[in-house]
Amino acid sequence: MARRILIGLGISLMLALGATSTAQERSASDSAMAASLAAQAQQSESHQRFRSIDQDVQDLKKEVLDLNRDLFLLEEELLFPANSQVAFFISMDVGEYFDLDSVNLKVDGKEVANYLYTEREVGALVRGGVQRLHIANLKTGDHELTAIFIGKGPNTRDYRRGATMSFNKGIGAKYLELEITDRVKKQQPEFVIKEWE
Amino acid sequence: MNVKNCVLGFVFSVIAATSLAASGLTGQPAPDFALKSSGGENLRLSEYRGDVVMINFWATWCGPCRQEMPLLDELYSRYERVGFNLLGVNIDDDSRKAMDMVAELGVNFPVLFDARKEVSKLYAVDAMPVTVLVDREGTVRHVHQGYKPGYEDMYLDQIRSLLRE
Repeated sequence: MARRILIGLGISLMLALGATSTAQERSASDSAMAASLAAQAQQSESHQRFRSIDQDVQDLKKEVLDLNRDLFLLEEELLFPANSQVAFFISMDVGEYFDLDSVNLKVDGKEVANYLYTEREVGALVRGGVQRLHIANLKTGDHELTAIFIGKGPNTRDYRRGATMSFNKGIGAKYLELEITDRVKKQQPEFVIKEWE
Repeated sequence: MNVKNCVLGFVFSVIAATSLAASGLTGQPAPDFALKSSGGENLRLSEYRGDVVMINFWATWCGPCRQEMPLLDELYSRYERVGFNLLGVNIDDDSRKAMDMVAELGVNFPVLFDARKEVSKLYAVDAMPVTVLVDREGTVRHVHQGYKPGYEDMYLDQIRSLLRE
């Protein structure tokens, strides 16, 4: 009888011990989970913070670009007021008979621009690009524009051709376009100066 | 004593002003230019954006330039394929002399002719040679005036570091 009591006591003691260790393990695993959850939360918070910093940087960049654009426009308006502004553009159509090397621009006999073209730039003009070659302030009245085009003509011969045009500068901005076109009949390039209406 | 100090100060300030003329460009965007090259085509600096560019101003009458150019050509042949470009800007009035010297030295990098001295003015060149290093963003990073043996090692270090950026 006494032996049975002892065995029962032993079993109940072992069960009690087992229960304690399970409770300890459970509490350890709970605390590990809590720690991992906290770490995850911290990580996501830091991710969010990074994202918000990144967003701030992007916003700041955009603001700087906008400011730069505004300053550029303001500077242009101040330096070249619309009333005295004259802009010279250049364009090229086909360009089969003329390989452009450079353009020299004179207004009233004074050189205002001398532009050398790289292969890439000529390619851009041939593909339909229009380049603003020069921008200036001119008084109202009559002026003379002379453009000298230098390059290779038909049969890759050195080619130098001038085009002159008199124009009247009234009130308001004026835009002039130097156009290089091909004259298929004559197999020669043609240089025309046009006023934008 | 005071007079001596004044004179010394003046000399130093003149030297400093001279050496600062071109190096004042360091950290600034490299002024853009286009020039006719020895190959016949026009080359524009801004079209090399994304590459490290060395601009070397030289003249046929400049002895150190003659020493330096073959060494620069070695650097050019070594690093050309990894995004390094070298533009030799000749400032002689007569480009034929420059072409003769290029042929004599056997250098392969593109040589540009600045007979009107517009580009030299843009870069405030007041010594010969002047070597400017421009990074991939188009910013002037190093300016060297004159040439002394050993400068090529410094160029090598700087080119390698700019290429790694």
